[in-house]
Amino acid sequence: MTAIPLTLGPLQAKGYTILRSGVRWLREDGQMCRANEPIGYFNVTLEPTDTRAGSQPLFADEMELQVAFAARMSGRLKLDEAMARGGYLNVRTIDAWEPGTRIGAIETEEEPDADEPGQLRLLKLAGRRMTALADVHSGLLPGWHSRTRGWWCDEGEAPLTLLSLGVCDAAGLVLGAQCAFMEMFEAARQGMQIVYVPDHPIAPCAPILLDQLSRTPAQFEAIVEDVHRHFGGPGKHLAADDWMFIGTMLSVLGKAPLKDRYNLFSATGLQQTGPADAVLLSLAVEPLSILRHRTLGYHMHVMRHHQAAAGPAVRAWLSSAFEPVKRPTDAIRQDYENLIDTLQRQSGSRLMILNTMSTSGHEDISCYLGFDAPLSATLSNVSAKELNLMLDDIAATREIDIIDVDAIAAEMGGAQHLPDGIHQSGMMQVVLRQEILHFMSDLRASRSLAVT
Amino acid sequence: MIYELKLSAIVPQMTGATTQCCYAAPGDALKMGSKLVDLSVDLSSAFAQECPPVSYYRIVLREPAFLRAITAKPGDFTAVDAPLALFSSTPDEPLDEAPARPVRVTVAGIMHHDAMWSGQQE
Repeated sequence: MTAIPLTLGPLQAKGYTILRSGVRWLREDGQMCRANEPIGYFNVTLEPTDTRAGSQPLFADEMELQVAFAARMSGRLKLDEAMARGGYLNVRTIDAWEPGTRIGAIETEEEPDADEPGQLRLLKLAGRRMTALADVHSGLLPGWHSRTRGWWCDEGEAPLTLLSLGVCDAAGLVLGAQCAFMEMFEAARQGMQIVYVPDHPIAPCAPILLDQLSRTPAQFEAIVEDVHRHFGGPGKHLAADDWMFIGTMLSVLGKAPLKDRYNLFSATGLQQTGPADAVLLSLAVEPLSILRHRTLGYHMHVMRHHQAAAGPAVRAWLSSAFEPVKRPTDAIRQDYENLIDTLQRQSGSRLMILNTMSTSGHEDISCYLGFDAPLSATLSNVSAKELNLMLDDIAATREIDIIDVDAIAAEMGGAQHLPDGIHQSGMMQVVLRQEILHFMSDLRASRSLAVT
Repeated sequence: MIYELKLSAIVPQMTGATTQCCYAAPGDALKMGSKLVDLSVDLSSAFAQECPPVSYYRIVLREPAFLRAITAKPGDFTAVDAPLALFSSTPDEPLDEAPARPVRVTVAGIMHHDAMWSGQQE
């Protein structure tokens, strides 16, 4: 048994001093931990060294900045409890980041396979708040964010970026149980950045993403003007829920996550990356009918449970200012193909799509008389099969990766691991994460080949 | 002969279901393949999720029968194993005898549609 001291290791950003808070522990002194399992975290800030510079500091729009850390080998933790300063000193950044700072030690039977086995592996986390009012101090990436991301890389590594735009079936895979990318960090040894954009309040189906990619500043201004005209007139009495929904909606309509670029700080300093190398989407988010604005033509897809968050004025506006447009399977296919081709031209981002569960062990249809034609508009399993086949057809002519939720759920047992067809068990999430990492590894290899 | 329909556990984790549509009324002579009810199953109590794990199902008759009584109306919650409806093989058979067996039905997952009770509450 060897006791290996655990040290922070280097972290730098040219032009900035990195400050950290006291530690908040995720594991307790004396507990066993796995290799790469986060054991604690700091809040951090990047303070410009030259305060005369006029431009906005990097990360100014990401008010949550944290660094979680993990030992590179498994063993029993001997933590330096003095690293946790308690109270606000575990929230406010008070100490400079010093690579040699020791946070404790790990007693291990493993043979070290790195030059500096005690140097912690760092998971950097950043959250862009939906509103600056969402300043919650508890836990990892706390509060309400319009975008969160986590990245990790060792010296000399260029992280690949995966952007997750799906709904629950994708979110759970990338965010993990504590919504801080910890499971992906533990499972992925190569440098990576995972970005998550939630479906608040507009769900990221293909027409919404195509609108985001093509919307000009003038078109966005026209949407803002139209919203002001509709809701700002005399005699309008909006509920608090209406105002909050409108504010969030306009904030989201003004963004295009598929075009985002990202600043990263790491052991070797600052770097910029993006747009995303790969984009994770969910077939389950594609509606069979979508709202289209009657005059401005943009699309709106608000999931049913999020519609309930809107006030009565917004719900009335969604009913009157938009018209429903049916999306048969061919229309969904065309939207996907447009999206793939547009991304190929604009950024080279590769789509990775989760298909849907299309069977149920509880179904016992012996006669289809009670189900209206076309069956794909009535029976959820027939609809899912058609959509899954449509994805396969697309893959025959375009480069996409299909994560076969349908096959994996059938193999593991849908009733136990995917009871409602969307929300996976923890065990199934582990399998699906491996699929994602497998595709990311292939993408890394193909990009390396393209460079050489 | 009297037949009964109780709510079965369509999904193992469910505790009950909400009636979304009723397609038949007491006294109706129903054929094989007749739609009976659409139900929603919400697993929120079994799984803590940010979005409600709701799925929809239709119960369809697999044999002809006369609908004599239906206990749930749209919006009502029915617990697993609670009665949903009573049927008979002839139109005016007395209902005071015990059901001879469950009525034969098919249960299948369906898409949400505008005629559902939950769609009309929005």
